[in-house]
Amino acid sequence: MAGNRLQRIGSVFSRTRDLLRIGVIKKPLWFDVYAAFPPLREPVYRVPRPRYGKVKDVIPPIFYREDQVRARFYRIYGSGPRPFDLSQLNYKSTCQRFVEKFNELKEEGKIEEEKLFEETGKALLASGIILQRRGTDRVAQEDHQDVGSRDSVRHLQLQTLLEEMQEGKKDQKEQTPERVETQKENPLPS
Amino acid sequence: MALPRLLRAAAPRLYSSVSAPVPVPVPVPAPAPAPASAVDDSLLSKPLSHPDFFNLKELFSLKDLFNARVHLGHKKGCRHRFMEPYIFGCRLDQDIIDLDQTMEHLQLALNFTAHVAYRKGIILFISRKRQFCHLIESTARECGEYAHTRYWQGGLLTNAHIQFGPGVRLPDLIIFLSTLSNVFEPHVAIRDAAKMNIPTVGVVDTNCNPCLITYPIPGNDDSPTAVELYCKLFKMTIIRAKEKRRQSEIFDELRRKAEGQ
Repeated sequence: MAGNRLQRIGSVFSRTRDLLRIGVIKKPLWFDVYAAFPPLREPVYRVPRPRYGKVKDVIPPIFYREDQVRARFYRIYGSGPRPFDLSQLNYKSTCQRFVEKFNELKEEGKIEEEKLFEETGKALLASGIILQRRGTDRVAQEDHQDVGSRDSVRHLQLQTLLEEMQEGKKDQKEQTPERVETQKENPLPS
Repeated sequence: MALPRLLRAAAPRLYSSVSAPVPVPVPVPAPAPAPASAVDDSLLSKPLSHPDFFNLKELFSLKDLFNARVHLGHKKGCRHRFMEPYIFGCRLDQDIIDLDQTMEHLQLALNFTAHVAYRKGIILFISRKRQFCHLIESTARECGEYAHTRYWQGGLLTNAHIQFGPGVRLPDLIIFLSTLSNVFEPHVAIRDAAKMNIPTVGVVDTNCNPCLITYPIPGNDDSPTAVELYCKLFKMTIIRAKEKRRQSEIFDELRRKAEGQ
């Protein structure tokens, strides 16, 4: 019984076809079926080498226009009052209803852009879904605020340092009782 | 040390797939040609001229695949390089498999399975997912085919004549419902089937290597709904093909009797 066990050379079909051509094996059952209906890619072995250097991601990310509304909804209201029930195929979550209402109101066009979000919230409240606010609404402003707040904290620390140094200089000219205060304030900047 | 090795070689059935039957040792066919080989030839060659002889495209639709969550892949970090052509996109770091391609691949794979079953080939179902081992074994039992969902011993295909005795008939098609083993490495049977020149059909997830699989089906192999769908589809194709074969043989018998008389 001959055979060809080299799985890294050619495909199963090419090896069997060559063995048949030599005449060392009988035609297997699947040979004609493969010949009549070949797969989309011939099953040849490829070495799974990892990519080196900068890796380009060829898979595009999937984003929809409604994702902006969804992101804002999740930031403010969390995941909504109702738990997700994914066992139902046509389940619509609170977020999905919000997005649909938002799109409806947007198409009507009677409300301004900035107020659309709050109006959708009110519309949902009217239809019976109570949304509890869990976060603040500032998006880009939030980032600036974070940076600003960090800077302002450092600013405050530097200011207090300066004031202490100035106070220390003044106190040196005056009496000692104020030295106790400066000694207490000194560990702050650390 | 020699004693346990002897036991292993002599009685592999003790702890390999006990519940499902192991490839039946059929004696090597003696060179006795089957009677009326011309009729058999037409019986076997006629189905190959139709693009969809068993009408398998009615068994599944894109909506069914979507509802069974076949399009859900693993996270971006688990992605295998060779699965990139089959992936539609990446939604918040989770890969989504392109169901249009899955439809084509599934059609080809089911068609191949049906033709192999029509020609009375032996089909072996393999999966190393413990969650679905019972489902796959019962599917195989209902089709009348074989399954191996337990630990794969090294020489089951490559050393079959010593492990099972001389004159074993190896499977003609191996169907993988999950191509990875328990340690998330490619299942040894993929390499062994390629070595023994046995075609394979396999469900490849985004972290699997589809190179050596003859008819890969890019799709989810972890969700219960997806695996139940695959089992249902394979069972229906195999049963359909066997029924068709039985009917064709009966018709041929009747026709031959009518012509003979």
